[in-house]
Amino acid sequence: MKELSLIIGGPQGAGLETSAQILTYSLAYSGYGIISDREYFSNIKGRHSYIHSLVSSKRIPSSLTYPVQLIAALDHETIFTHFNSLEDGGVMIYDVLTEDKTLDDTPSMEESLKNKLRSEFKLLGIDGSIKSLIKYIKNIKKVETIPLNYFEIINEVSKKIALPASQAARYVSSIVIGAIAGLMNIKKKYIEYSLTRRFSDKPELIQHNKTIINMVYNKIIEKYGYKLELEQSKLKYRELMIVSGNDVVAMGKIVGGLRYQSYYPITPAADESFTIESYEKLKVNDKDIGSIIVIQTEDEIAAITSAIGATLTGVRASTSTSGPGFSLMVEGLGWAGMNEAPIVITYYQRGGPSTGLPTRGSQGDLLFSLYASHGEFPRIVLASGDHLEAFYDTIEAFNLAEKYQTPVIHLLDKFLANSIVTLNVPNLSSTTIERGALIEKVSGEYKRFDLSKPISLRAVLGATIMWYTGDEHNELGHINEDSENREKMYRKRLEKLKIANEEIPEERRVSYYGSEDDEILLVGWGFTKGVVMDTLNILNDKGIKAGYLHIRMFSPFPSKFVKEMLNKFEENNIIAIEHNYLAQAAEIIHINTGIKIKKNVIKYNGRPIYLNELVEAILRILEGEDRVVLKYGP
Amino acid sequence: MARKLTDYQSDVWVDWCPGCGNFGILASMYRALSELDLKPEETIIVSGIGCSGKTPHFIKVNGVHTLHGRAIPFAMGIKLANPKLTVIINSGDGDLLGIGAGHFVALGRRNIDLTIILHDNTVYGLTKGQASPTLKRKLKPKALPKPNIQDAVNPIALALASGYTFIARGYSMMVDHLKELIKKSIQHKGAALVDVLQPCVTYDNIHTIEYYKKRVYKLEDSDWNPIVDKPEEREEKIIKAWIKSQEYDEKIPIGVFYQDPYIDSFEERINERINTYLENPPAKQKIEQNGKPIINNETFRKIFNQYIIKIE
Repeated sequence: MKELSLIIGGPQGAGLETSAQILTYSLAYSGYGIISDREYFSNIKGRHSYIHSLVSSKRIPSSLTYPVQLIAALDHETIFTHFNSLEDGGVMIYDVLTEDKTLDDTPSMEESLKNKLRSEFKLLGIDGSIKSLIKYIKNIKKVETIPLNYFEIINEVSKKIALPASQAARYVSSIVIGAIAGLMNIKKKYIEYSLTRRFSDKPELIQHNKTIINMVYNKIIEKYGYKLELEQSKLKYRELMIVSGNDVVAMGKIVGGLRYQSYYPITPAADESFTIESYEKLKVNDKDIGSIIVIQTEDEIAAITSAIGATLTGVRASTSTSGPGFSLMVEGLGWAGMNEAPIVITYYQRGGPSTGLPTRGSQGDLLFSLYASHGEFPRIVLASGDHLEAFYDTIEAFNLAEKYQTPVIHLLDKFLANSIVTLNVPNLSSTTIERGALIEKVSGEYKRFDLSKPISLRAVLGATIMWYTGDEHNELGHINEDSENREKMYRKRLEKLKIANEEIPEERRVSYYGSEDDEILLVGWGFTKGVVMDTLNILNDKGIKAGYLHIRMFSPFPSKFVKEMLNKFEENNIIAIEHNYLAQAAEIIHINTGIKIKKNVIKYNGRPIYLNELVEAILRILEGEDRVVLKYGP
Repeated sequence: MARKLTDYQSDVWVDWCPGCGNFGILASMYRALSELDLKPEETIIVSGIGCSGKTPHFIKVNGVHTLHGRAIPFAMGIKLANPKLTVIINSGDGDLLGIGAGHFVALGRRNIDLTIILHDNTVYGLTKGQASPTLKRKLKPKALPKPNIQDAVNPIALALASGYTFIARGYSMMVDHLKELIKKSIQHKGAALVDVLQPCVTYDNIHTIEYYKKRVYKLEDSDWNPIVDKPEEREEKIIKAWIKSQEYDEKIPIGVFYQDPYIDSFEERINERINTYLENPPAKQKIEQNGKPIINNETFRKIFNQYIIKIE
């Protein structure tokens, strides 16, 4: 095998995330490329959650496939929820003691899903128990089922490590790791290495987990062999990072010189602030190189306004949020626009409207981020397509904010925030820190909003005297309602966007992945990049020449480049791919270029776009459909 | 050479209504700033919205006139990024105790070294006289069509409950007295509130100069001692100050209600964690060298070592 896709499912809080980390570290250490997405309910303990991964021996994958080849179930709900997620001929690891469970024994499962399954089971002749379901997938879907007795294993281990069985039960996720590691032939020393990394400060945990994993590992290979062994990896890396989207943005902010971050807790943004806070003291070889204030505020309004206050003293400041939080921040956004304050807002989109699907993904906030707040003022909106882009874009967000003295909204989404990937360590040699017209000392009278230049010199609070106001102001920053002044100030602010449009290379704002003779143009933005890029290869194998236009900045919009690209393709061969209902990026393209994209593939059920469903959808579009709504994912 | 009072006056015409109580606050501000000889470039007045919101424009130090209710978080960001600055909030009762009440409470919890001069006139002046959170129930200032149906919040009691470590009340027509309170509040290390009774001559026909003249008396003229002299006294002093804060109607005390010098300021709490914070705060740090991040490839690997897997 060259690649393996798998799902590990279980109740929230049962150690899934730890299992995923141990496996990811071990597989990365074995030289493979991995991407893992975590799907979960807005719940702390008990609701169904799962890790969905793709491991590859030939590439660093950027998307997931569905259905998968391996499912490991910590509980019986996983079997019910995911039996359809398994390919014919796949492998199912499960607890044999759950065989008597039925749908009625599953209070954590949503009634609508149960009803859907009940009618499906009726058609398939399944009586609603795990036992008959297992029989079905074994006989009809030719799935290799691997029943393990979790209770027995735990009992056996608790004797070995002298731990009460009740406590040993906490290690049930290690049974699954042991089984997967055995089937995949992951070297035991790599698992041990991962355990040591994960639990460096808790030696007894390393020991206990190791005992269980090894025991299950041995049992599994004795009976099933290395059934899911991947080929030796062809990837030739010597080091890799294993990071989530939240992690890379935190790293980007730290490298980019962030000194003040404020936030109000919200999924899926809050982890980023936690990571930054763990680096509040920046030390290298015992030498202080800086420090970062991270503050949890009383609400999102205080998060953005305090960060704006901090920027006025010259520090790089930001806040991170998601839709419901950004809704509250909008008043602050307008003030920053009026006062040319270089605030960076990291915006992780999730399923809306309102609180929507708090833990599920979406790209539904593009139009909101572009138009939020009353009146007109410049803003820069950039959107990252993958983890590496997110890292560099984070640094650039601060540069652009300071160069153009304007708010910058950095759009990301839940899919990126919560997916963990293997990633090359970024190279910082061409990374710059540009502080724009920031001045340290001022001589003579200072005008914060000097009209003699399109972008005024920016002195900071503490260096001289200046005024700011949310009302229209004169050059000194005092309230001024004079009509002529109003017109000059208004124009000055908005023309900064024109300057940014002239200065920021369009190649930086939009990328084309493809070749001269492509016939099909896929258009997308944000985290759909990964799955679209993988799709190009598959289409190419089928003899379909397709390229991908990836938009990375929506304000200022790279109109010229996009227009030229779109004009090269036949109208019916241009397809927008987006995680929203309206095809919002296509709307923005229409506004900016006059070209209307007529075909789209969209998904708005909160789950990521999977590779195989996208390929199928594009084929359907090429056969004449105008719009395909993707629906995969439990 | 010490700065003069006039050095703190800006050129902007003060467009409050003639006779507005805010003039007394402004006069007290000029005097307090000049007597403390505060450096204009290192002093910031932050305000919200309303008549009080315009205050920073009239004073020749840095002025940040922000959003309705948000003066406190703006001020917090400024102060925490650069704790060497003196940051004073001048804002109204509607602003700080209505729309901004959450921030008002949060400041007490944090005890950031910020000073609030609360322009307290019981009405929303700039939107033509609606009831503010400090207007008592059943009162009907002339702009209201019906008597006020909501109860009043007591700023002194709320500040006590929130954790402010300096709490005082002044009266805008007693400029010298108010000036002393403002000076003390600025000099206090921690969250400070000066609730300033300030007649709105246009919309509030109840709380007039006559009204206050009959009721206002100075706490220092009695045997009142607001200061927590040792931490063990805190509880007793809070209770006493609370009781005093309820004297709110027929007789109105002004002066310092409560002062506790023993609670760590937020800046000190940060310094406990980041021990270089006070001497080298964020605003004083360098983040680049010759246009490059100070974190280069080598330091990146050192800092983020825990994310990197090396394969031998």
